[in-house]
Amino acid sequence: MATMPAFLDKTAGAADAAPRLARAETTDRLRALPLDDVLFFSKKIDNSRLVRAADPRARGACWHAVGAAAVLLLLMAGTLVPSLAGRLEGYRLEALKGEERRLLDERRTLELQEAELLSPDRLQQVAEKQNLVAPQAGQVVHLDGNKPDGSFALVK
Amino acid sequence: MLERRLKWLAGLLLIWGALIFWKLVSLQVVHHAQYAALARARQEQVVKVPAARGAIVDRTGAPLAMSVPTQSVLVNPQKVPDLGVAADIFSMVLRLDRAELAARLEAARKDGRGYFVVKKKATWEEAQRLRGMAFDWIQIDSGSERHYPNGPLAAHILGGVDFAEKGNAGIEKALEGDLEGTAGEERVLTDVKGRGIDAVVESEPKTGATLTLSIDERVQFVAERELAAAAQAKGAHSGSVVVMNPQNGEILAMASYPGYDPNRPPGGGENPEARLNHATSVPFEPGSVFKVITLSAALETTSLRPESKIDCGRGSITLFGRTIHEAHGGYGVISMAQVLAHSSNVGAIRIGMTVGEEKMHEYVRRFGFGEKTGVPLPAESRGRVRSLDRWSKISLPSISIGQEVSVTALQLAQAASVVANGGLLVRPRLVLKKGGRAVPVPPPVRVIKPETAVTMRQMMEGVVLPGGTGYPEARLEGYSVAGKTGSAQIYDVAEHRYTHNYNGSFVGFAPLNNPAIVVVVTLNGTHGNLGFGGRAAAPVFHAVATEALRVLDVPRDLPEEPAPAPVADNAAEKDDLAIADLGSLGPNILEEGEEDAPATAAAGPRVPDFKGKTMRAVLAEAAAKGLAVIPAGSGVARLQYPPAGSALRQGERIRVRFSR
Repeated sequence: MATMPAFLDKTAGAADAAPRLARAETTDRLRALPLDDVLFFSKKIDNSRLVRAADPRARGACWHAVGAAAVLLLLMAGTLVPSLAGRLEGYRLEALKGEERRLLDERRTLELQEAELLSPDRLQQVAEKQNLVAPQAGQVVHLDGNKPDGSFALVK
Repeated sequence: MLERRLKWLAGLLLIWGALIFWKLVSLQVVHHAQYAALARARQEQVVKVPAARGAIVDRTGAPLAMSVPTQSVLVNPQKVPDLGVAADIFSMVLRLDRAELAARLEAARKDGRGYFVVKKKATWEEAQRLRGMAFDWIQIDSGSERHYPNGPLAAHILGGVDFAEKGNAGIEKALEGDLEGTAGEERVLTDVKGRGIDAVVESEPKTGATLTLSIDERVQFVAERELAAAAQAKGAHSGSVVVMNPQNGEILAMASYPGYDPNRPPGGGENPEARLNHATSVPFEPGSVFKVITLSAALETTSLRPESKIDCGRGSITLFGRTIHEAHGGYGVISMAQVLAHSSNVGAIRIGMTVGEEKMHEYVRRFGFGEKTGVPLPAESRGRVRSLDRWSKISLPSISIGQEVSVTALQLAQAASVVANGGLLVRPRLVLKKGGRAVPVPPPVRVIKPETAVTMRQMMEGVVLPGGTGYPEARLEGYSVAGKTGSAQIYDVAEHRYTHNYNGSFVGFAPLNNPAIVVVVTLNGTHGNLGFGGRAAAPVFHAVATEALRVLDVPRDLPEEPAPAPVADNAAEKDDLAIADLGSLGPNILEEGEEDAPATAAAGPRVPDFKGKTMRAVLAEAAAKGLAVIPAGSGVARLQYPPAGSALRQGERIRVRFSR
């Protein structure tokens, strides 16, 4: 049990009294109490020779506690990790869904722009600027002979 | 002492535990539903998954109408805690002018408005940034906007949509049920920042069906271009072109002049006629093109043959005490084929009188006149064919030359297809597929014998050969052509007399042996000789048919030789004018409703009598009765169609002309 001197760090004793008094004079500290060194004597206890008695039961209980804590930790991890992973994947899935919608919307906007660019009125204006004329009936020869839409063709 | 204190402590602990337990019971059992709902409201969002309205594409897959998604940012100015902060946020995120926005928000709040559109077409990123802020006074409205990428092209077929993207005209209205999509709902679990964690689909969104029309946008473009050019050159106030495949009834183009841009909402100053589909909704007296029906009936029911001689009386005929002349000059005894080629009115009247009233009436109806074609467009007119018991003694000669009947351009195309395809009446088709599934085709009905059709084709070829009324304007380079011109005087309903303005028309098909296209051109309100069908409408036929045959890649059936040059504008006009004033005993056919025709739809409300009323009064009365009116002109109401008292069909609008 700690004693007052130990608590107040007074164990330096009388050996240090003179310099402390001198220091007190210089630092305006209060003077030491009478019989200070007696009243605040501290007894040193040496328990270095003490040996802890072996207790196999306590050791077993400790390992049991550690094991139980580890099992509990594993169980909690096993329960929480899938839930956490699911939640994180949910975030990712929702973000991807939003991205998919955004891309679909963007595609529709681009399709509209494409349709506007390919409108017959605009194509005619562009063709006129380029001095192009429409082929006459019978001038178009389809190279594969079957005349499917979009096949390669030449103009006689 | 100590024991007593311990007992007190235990008692307090027990009460404390009991209170906690009771609170837990209250939260989790007594008020479970309430708190669960509160939690759901905070953690779950019901998100509408928008379903796009179906697109409309032409026969090649080119889009004619499509919807694109839009995001609108809205606020309730009364609920915005700080307008300055709101203006700061919106100007930063939406890149708007802060001062202007703040002023508009302030004004909206002062006006007591509870709805303010901050930005109509916000980008997806902008909307997401605002959503992430999770302010309860910011609302992001996801919707879509209808676009017509080709502008005015095929506007009368497509129609348009209103602010709620519901069809209000054309295919958009007629096939609203197929086109409209149904939005789905998704329940999204969100975290404290509003980010989605998990989602449960409550109902799947249903996208509207894509409609594939029979229209070819290239042919449609040429038809509209040539029609507008001819109408402006000839001073016509309206007109129409129909291009149709006579074998299966597919409509390749249907143009109406004047046109409009469906991307723009109807506004002030717009010509009300522009939104009328003249090819299907506005019947007219066909004039000489109707002689095709007269002669077909004659070939079927009499012993007359193309070479049979018809006495054209040197240009006059006396009927019921009245002498009727050809419009210009006259012919003596000519063959029936020449009657058609020269478009002799007297000859056609004589042929018609040989056919007789009953047979004439029967064949007019068999060719599909007086009934709707069934094309899926709202406000289609059935035209008018009087029932036989209402025919006067002058009806037969009148009808023989295309008077006393009113028809639409689409009906004319349907009738011409009968001759072109060998005698079968095929119903016009406008929609090929709905959502990838083919639309069933009604079986054709035989109208005339195949040999009669072939004979008629040969006689109609004479119209575009030298000496015919369609020569040379209707000739096509490399293709044999058959056709018929028509020029009918326009009846003035207000004055009860025929004017000197004409409905110039041309009905033709090519190639002769296996026709790939039937083209009908009408120009309404042309003037003078240059407004006759041969001069005004035949050149349009030439341009449109040439382009359609090229687009469809129809093989040529004649050696390549340049088409003869069109005649000069000041050259003498060949006589194809149907004599208008035959002294009909009853009111003109255009003054009557269509009540004689078999009803195909449930009778709607009766048309009120607007005559003599101001435009304001007419619009107020129509609005009160839930009727749609198309006003034209200014002053007081002078004319209206349908006439007062007649039953209004579903979707039909009342045209009222005002004058001072």
